[in-house]
Amino acid sequence: MYLNSYNLPCVTISMNFTSVMFSGFKEVREEEKSQMVGKVFSNVASNYDLMNDFMSGGLHRLWKDRLVSKLSPFPGMKHLDVAGGTGDVAFRILESVNSIKRRALQDPLNDDLQEETRIYVCDINPNMLDVGKNRALEKGLGEDKSLVWVQGDAEALSFEDNSMDGYTIAFGIRNVTHIEKVLSEAYRVLKRGGRFLCLELSHVDIPVFKELYDFYSFSVIPRLGEIVAGDRESYQYLVESIRRFPPQEKFASMIADAGFQKVEYENLVGGVVAIHSGLKI
Amino acid sequence: MYRTVVNRILLTKNTGGGRRCLLRFPDLRTAVSSSRFSTTTEPQTFPNRPLNPADSSTSSSSTSFQTSSAAGDIPRQERKNPRAEYQGEQARVLQASLRHVLRLGWSEEAMIAGAKEVGISPSIVGSFPRKEAALVEFFMDDCLQRLIDRIDSGEELQDLIPSQCIYKLVRFRLEMQAPYISKWPQALSIQAHPLNVSTSFKQRAMLVDEIWHAAGDEASDLDWYVKRTVLGGIYSTTEIYMLTDSSPEFRDTWLFLDNRVKDAFDLKKTIQEVFSPSIPFPLFF
Repeated sequence: MYLNSYNLPCVTISMNFTSVMFSGFKEVREEEKSQMVGKVFSNVASNYDLMNDFMSGGLHRLWKDRLVSKLSPFPGMKHLDVAGGTGDVAFRILESVNSIKRRALQDPLNDDLQEETRIYVCDINPNMLDVGKNRALEKGLGEDKSLVWVQGDAEALSFEDNSMDGYTIAFGIRNVTHIEKVLSEAYRVLKRGGRFLCLELSHVDIPVFKELYDFYSFSVIPRLGEIVAGDRESYQYLVESIRRFPPQEKFASMIADAGFQKVEYENLVGGVVAIHSGLKI
Repeated sequence: MYRTVVNRILLTKNTGGGRRCLLRFPDLRTAVSSSRFSTTTEPQTFPNRPLNPADSSTSSSSTSFQTSSAAGDIPRQERKNPRAEYQGEQARVLQASLRHVLRLGWSEEAMIAGAKEVGISPSIVGSFPRKEAALVEFFMDDCLQRLIDRIDSGEELQDLIPSQCIYKLVRFRLEMQAPYISKWPQALSIQAHPLNVSTSFKQRAMLVDEIWHAAGDEASDLDWYVKRTVLGGIYSTTEIYMLTDSSPEFRDTWLFLDNRVKDAFDLKKTIQEVFSPSIPFPLFF
């Protein structure tokens, strides 16, 4: 089904890209990291969703469903989805809010609120945003003014203080250069009572499963990337950046340091993916 | 004595990461003295030291935290106050949500309305692990606290015979639910949900315990369980009877309750007579 709508391996790798021997494990200068990430995602944008399906066996859909159900969206919500270029999380939130509306017809005050729902999708990479906008058109949400596509940097958001009810970042935070800045920006834009939710690939500690997961990550995924997207290096970078990202506890303490309370995390698939959440009070 | 046992059970449950109990019960009886004590204990007990959600006592207990921890470690105090804060805010939201229950039921919508009323983003509703259940459990705790206050302040209860005392207390407790009676079946079904059963069972156990203690119970071993089970049965049946009672001021319910309490005490007397020393035991078979 997918193979019909996507072009198979025609992504060209630019000369600059292959000549830079970068790996997620190598010490990369900070100013170079954002450039490299930019190149990676410009290359993968068109095949991003397809590769997600392949790599996770379709599980990423369930993970995102879980993220949105933890968020508990409500009509009239102002939500910010950062690094959400292709719009997966934003579409789910919109669907959830629209269905709640149909359910909660009991409260007459909520009828006007439906129009006030705003979901801002922020991404630093315009290619990813374009893919997202196209998908919105395909879903018939092109005219929906609840969805707002914004290009921006997670470390320096253009939104006002205390303006968002919710903030999500799904599979984006391991790509940023300064995690602390992103966290403090998240804290800044959230209202009192607002929640921060982060879905990210994380560390597995279960003995046998860990070895299997490592094998899968280092041997299977770059190969898949090569075959399906024609881009081995990007997926090599992906796998190694996962290993470099702080483990669950450490990341939770970083979130708490940014000022969030009730910081918790939930491991999915034994720690392959973790959802961290925090509350701003 | 049993009250401290109950407290200890709750506290040990909390150190395992328990949830609902955080809001209310253990702190209240020991009030200010325990809050002073807690600032000097090791950090892992901090989440177990909740603030009283009623506004006036929130301010009083938080000031007691401030003054008593001034001499202690500064980092500990800073860590402590923010952590207690979100629970206080959650309690405020729940308190406000109760006012919307009659209109919107024990539901997320009521909680969202409550959050808006208090001026906090309704996203906070997502931070309650079991949403509607949190609201119901908060209400149950609140009622229990009011019952305890009534017991502590009411001297005349000691003069009553146990059956009358139990009648009074159960009636007092059920009257607290009277304003919500139209939506109470929903609350009961939420409490019966498999995820919520253990917490609601614990709350009811505590309630029954309190009532027996106030009635002057000195039972031990098997008798303790029997008494609580019987009272639990009386309470539950009366509660359910109340759901369909349309008499003015629930008169029929109180009549029903009175009869059930009498039945229970008569049964107890009967059993005591049967097993009394006047009848040689083997002859009974």
